[in-house]
Amino acid sequence: MTAPTIILVEDDPPLRMLTTRALQEQGYVVRSAATAPELWIALDNGPADLVVLDIMLPGTNGIDLCRQIRRTSDIPIIFISARGSEEERVLGLELGADDFLPKPFGTRELIARIRAVLRRGAAGDMGRGENGRNEVEFNGWSVSFSRRELRSPTGAIVDLTGAEFDLLATFLGQPQRVIGRERLIEMSRTRLGDSSDRSIDVLVSRLRRKLSAAGGSPPIVTVRGVGYMFSAEVSRA
Amino acid sequence: MMRWPSVGLLGRIFVILLVVLATEFAASTFLFERASHFALQDDDARRMAEHLVVARRILDRTVPKDRTGVTEEVSTDGFKIVWLPKGLSSKASYELNGLRSQMIEMQPELLAAKLRLHLQPLHSGTAITGTMDLSDGTLLKFDTTQAHAAWSVTLGWLMALFAPPLALVIVGGLMIRTTLKPLNTLIRATKHVGTDGHEQVPERGSAEVRSLIHAFNEMHARIHRLIMNRTQALVAVGHDLRTPLARLHLRLDNAELDMETKYAMEQDIDELRSLLQSLQDYLSGEGGGQPQQRLDLAAMAMTIVDNARDEGKDAYYIGPSSVDVVARPVAMRRAIANLVDNALHYGGNVRVILQAMDAEVKIAIEDDGPGIPDEQLEEVLQPFIRLDGARTRNTSGMGLGLAIVSNAVRAEQGELKLERHAGGGLRATITLPLR
Repeated sequence: MTAPTIILVEDDPPLRMLTTRALQEQGYVVRSAATAPELWIALDNGPADLVVLDIMLPGTNGIDLCRQIRRTSDIPIIFISARGSEEERVLGLELGADDFLPKPFGTRELIARIRAVLRRGAAGDMGRGENGRNEVEFNGWSVSFSRRELRSPTGAIVDLTGAEFDLLATFLGQPQRVIGRERLIEMSRTRLGDSSDRSIDVLVSRLRRKLSAAGGSPPIVTVRGVGYMFSAEVSRA
Repeated sequence: MMRWPSVGLLGRIFVILLVVLATEFAASTFLFERASHFALQDDDARRMAEHLVVARRILDRTVPKDRTGVTEEVSTDGFKIVWLPKGLSSKASYELNGLRSQMIEMQPELLAAKLRLHLQPLHSGTAITGTMDLSDGTLLKFDTTQAHAAWSVTLGWLMALFAPPLALVIVGGLMIRTTLKPLNTLIRATKHVGTDGHEQVPERGSAEVRSLIHAFNEMHARIHRLIMNRTQALVAVGHDLRTPLARLHLRLDNAELDMETKYAMEQDIDELRSLLQSLQDYLSGEGGGQPQQRLDLAAMAMTIVDNARDEGKDAYYIGPSSVDVVARPVAMRRAIANLVDNALHYGGNVRVILQAMDAEVKIAIEDDGPGIPDEQLEEVLQPFIRLDGARTRNTSGMGLGLAIVSNAVRAEQGELKLERHAGGGLRATITLPLR
């Protein structure tokens, strides 16, 4: 397998150079660009696996660029932001970016994010791939994968921790099928930045509590000795 | 000196109008009206006296059998005269000696006629009645309603005198109120100087008020510009520092340093990053620009608490599983997270207690730390205030955490209260209206 190709768009020359070097040291092929026109040239120069895009650029900003890229391509995008605000993050993810990294960042963090996004793309995991950025519904609840957002039947935003959302996404990917505990534990271990040692049962009970908001019984059923099953019918919105 | 409660400009002008008109009224009443009133009474008495003398002379010369007819002829509408052949004398309640001597003085003949005057009880319908003797010893009785009119007029008179000035005061007051109205608008606008909105007050009203409003609008625009400039400068600083900081971080990763130094430097960069983050969050009023949305406050609180627990912190959530409120999600999440972070940092633990009531929802964030001295509870809400001796403790942020919370809560028409709870630690309570 050839090394993944990354297009880096960053207007600050020293930072562009440093980031390029850091990525190359990790074995990636890097094509760098300082402005929007250079990005289009870099995209035309051959296949690429991922775009690392600074939001603040002279001329066309990263948000607009992201919108333009998404019209023609599904290439994974990681935003780099000098503001790091939640609003910007949500907007970026909504536009179809795959991750969001505030400045300053270290090599380790950058590489970890790139790996995670590339892996997700390859695995066709929830949030990308076949289910893409669609929204799904169950029992009046709706889930937006691009915004990583859950809404109750009353339309209220229901916050979930990262691990809870990933667990819900896994359930939604395989509704009305029993999922083994080992499989769930493994899944929660591979989650990015998830280093804590919590049991899957705690996660399930937290998720159940939040999903009981509508009054009815939560749609996660324990299958004794095997694992869990998401009992509700899931439909695409 | 004693301080009277202020009645406001309008009240003062009202009082001034009233005092002026009351003085005018008093002066005219007591100096002029009263004199003419007396003269009128005097006139009245003279007319009565003359009438009585003439009537007596006529009746004296009339034979008794014709007297009844003659009395009718000498009577007028307001002055009834009756001849009583028998010596009947009506017992009356009040003798009017003053008027009697006044009349006798005018017509001494009335003394010989033994004039008696009485003030009649009201139900009999007349005010003054009287009798006097004719020369043959029979009685002449008379009632006057005219005199009564002269007396009773005084009340209506007072009313008539009072009404125009009173009407003037009311009309004047209403006009002044209209004149002062632009000032009230100005006062309301003054309260919003320095907050988000930047609205010009319409220039209306009198020339002075208009120029005052104009000056105010200019001042407001100037202040707004100053705040904007400062904010933009600080945002730019925060923003521009991040790129060199990112360079520093990447260079550090390549630098050949021992692990310990590298780690310490990474910590320094991280601290700088969080300083910039809180500065940018505060200045941009993070999430404040977003629209309000329905959100589950309980799920939000649980998520923040669970994230802290997953990091091994002593964090608990007590409350219902679901409480829907309408708020700005990003700003509210940040507010609760800041209070939880503060509690964990200064108190070492945190309890988030959510209570939903009929019209409002209370979310209390408590810790068992040392708390904040009462006299400093106000102060900590101010931006850039940190109570621990600044750099002696490992605190991240710039002392903007609570100021961010305060702004976020105010944007939802909520309330933020800081207090020492019974256990001694700090309790921060956010009260939000339920809609």
